Amino acid sequence: MNTNYQSNLFFSYMRRDLLIAFRRKSASLNPLIFFVMIVALMPLSLGSYESRLQQMAPGVIWIMALLSVLLSSESLFDEDYRDGSLEQMIITPNLLFMVVLGKITAHWLTKSLPIAIASPLMGLLLSISPESIFSLMIGLIIGTACFSLLGGVGAALTVATKDKSFLLALIIMPLYVPIIIFGSSMIYYRIDGMYWSYPLAALLSIFCMLTILSPLSISGIFRSSMVE
Amino acid sequence: MHPIRRQRLQIVALIFLLSACAAGLVIYVLGQNANFFFTPSQILAGEYRSGSTIRVGGMVVEGSVSRPNENLQTQFTLTDGKTSLDIVYEGILPDLFAENEAAIATGVMSVSNKLIASQVLAKHDENYTPPELTETMDFIRYSDYKVQ
Amino acid sequence: MNWNWFHKFASPKWFYQISERILPGLCVVTFSLLFVGLIWGIGFAPADAKQGNSFRIIYLHVPSSFLALAGYFLMAIAGAIGLIWRIKLSFWVMKCAAPIGGILTLLALVTGGLWGKPTWGSFWVWDARATSMLILLFLYIGVYLLGRSFQNSDSGDKASAFLSIIGTVNIPIIYKSVDWWFTLHQPATINFTSAPSMHPDMFYPLLIMIIAFYFVYGLALTLSLRVEILSRERKTKWVRKLISQQ
Repeated sequence: MNTNYQSNLFFSYMRRDLLIAFRRKSASLNPLIFFVMIVALMPLSLGSYESRLQQMAPGVIWIMALLSVLLSSESLFDEDYRDGSLEQMIITPNLLFMVVLGKITAHWLTKSLPIAIASPLMGLLLSISPESIFSLMIGLIIGTACFSLLGGVGAALTVATKDKSFLLALIIMPLYVPIIIFGSSMIYYRIDGMYWSYPLAALLSIFCMLTILSPLSISGIFRSSMVE
Repeated sequence: MHPIRRQRLQIVALIFLLSACAAGLVIYVLGQNANFFFTPSQILAGEYRSGSTIRVGGMVVEGSVSRPNENLQTQFTLTDGKTSLDIVYEGILPDLFAENEAAIATGVMSVSNKLIASQVLAKHDENYTPPELTETMDFIRYSDYKVQ
Repeated sequence: MNWNWFHKFASPKWFYQISERILPGLCVVTFSLLFVGLIWGIGFAPADAKQGNSFRIIYLHVPSSFLALAGYFLMAIAGAIGLIWRIKLSFWVMKCAAPIGGILTLLALVTGGLWGKPTWGSFWVWDARATSMLILLFLYIGVYLLGRSFQNSDSGDKASAFLSIIGTVNIPIIYKSVDWWFTLHQPATINFTSAPSMHPDMFYPLLIMIIAFYFVYGLALTLSLRVEILSRERKTKWVRKLISQQ
């Protein structure tokens, strides 16, 4: 443990989780591959009529991004919980807030952000017009960060349960409603030729609130569960 | 400064900054007028993308509801006070649909500048009154009655 | 300040004994209020000028929606009290409130759909109120499932308390966002700050029904809390004694 490690918990934990992710490339690519595959299935189920795809595609891409992030958030604290390092993080007198925020940032960078970056390509495959692709990607970059932040809350709540993947999705999905609404309406506003600054501002304010509230509640959850 | 204390300060600063951002954005969002549907004026000014499904809201013009054919097809006009738009709808209209009441039609614009509606919704009214009362108080406007 | 009363009230044994005494009275009040409200509302209140008799479903719809939302806040407050003061009974109130609130939300949704068909022309409209109620149902389901998926039921209590508090913080945001997306529903039917916009002949039975639903809620909560107390305290002396007496 060097002095640098002590000096900034946020970066040290972020770097630690990033390192783990890079060592296990296949596991960290899974959400992205899932996203690409399931979006590519959509035309096969909807039919390849361009007009129909155009109308459905933004919503479909948003929902699929949500699903991919949800599936990957389960792993946020899982390993640390099983090998006991989570307990170490909680009982040492450091700032859990920064630790949690660092871990979530690493999760976003490795699991969620690739989905946002791949979304323009998938959007073009589903015949979204190139002009409106930009609003989809901006929305998804902020949106996936919100997904990761809330997914962290779900992962913290379900960390000690047995079959957590479904449970996590069920408890967190209702909380995703505002993000889905504002995020997907960004691109629909753009397509309908209206100003999309309104949903963008709403999404950004949700992101700011979540960046405070999510690490706070996650540390609260961990602290209270480890008291005994 | 002690590293722990410095990081605590960082957290407080971060929280402060982010709450300020969130508050500012919320104020910006609330200050904007969000529109849920287009008004007839906006439609006739061409503020929509042709071919896409749109929602138009307005008051049903008195005397405009007609059934030109034998079937369920209904025609009526929605107005926002300035301009009006013809709506064509095939199906059963809801109970609360009435002339001089608000309605929202969802559909696609046709070439002849009419909205081919796939759904018509009546806007619900806040007031509940027994029928006898509305008959006796017919001369009083509905909005006046609400104040009593 | 003397906190004795607080801890006494929080004792499961004390609650079990006191609730046994008030239960008969509570039952009588609940059922007579329900009876009066339903008969008055369905039989005697005048029909609406525009909607005719179909508006009468308001006497079930509004009270259940009211209680569904109030129940969520009660659940979250009970969870918060449990977390702050570490009171078992408060956690159990929260745990029992989840299924009751969920059923009320479901009732509100079903009656809303039955009412919506003749008046708006559709069983289901994706509008702000209906959608928010649906999401409230999902939140209830989440709290219910989370509380029951832990092997150690005490940690299940804590987790679902956290979830219900997080849900409460989210409810206004969810409501606002859904409201922004779909605005079609009527404004609130009852507004306590101004005079009722309903005619008194229709309003009084509704008021009685709302009060009756509060009592139904209290009764259901008391009954399921008593069951919960017995099952969670089954290893204590007083429960064993109680069982051996019967």
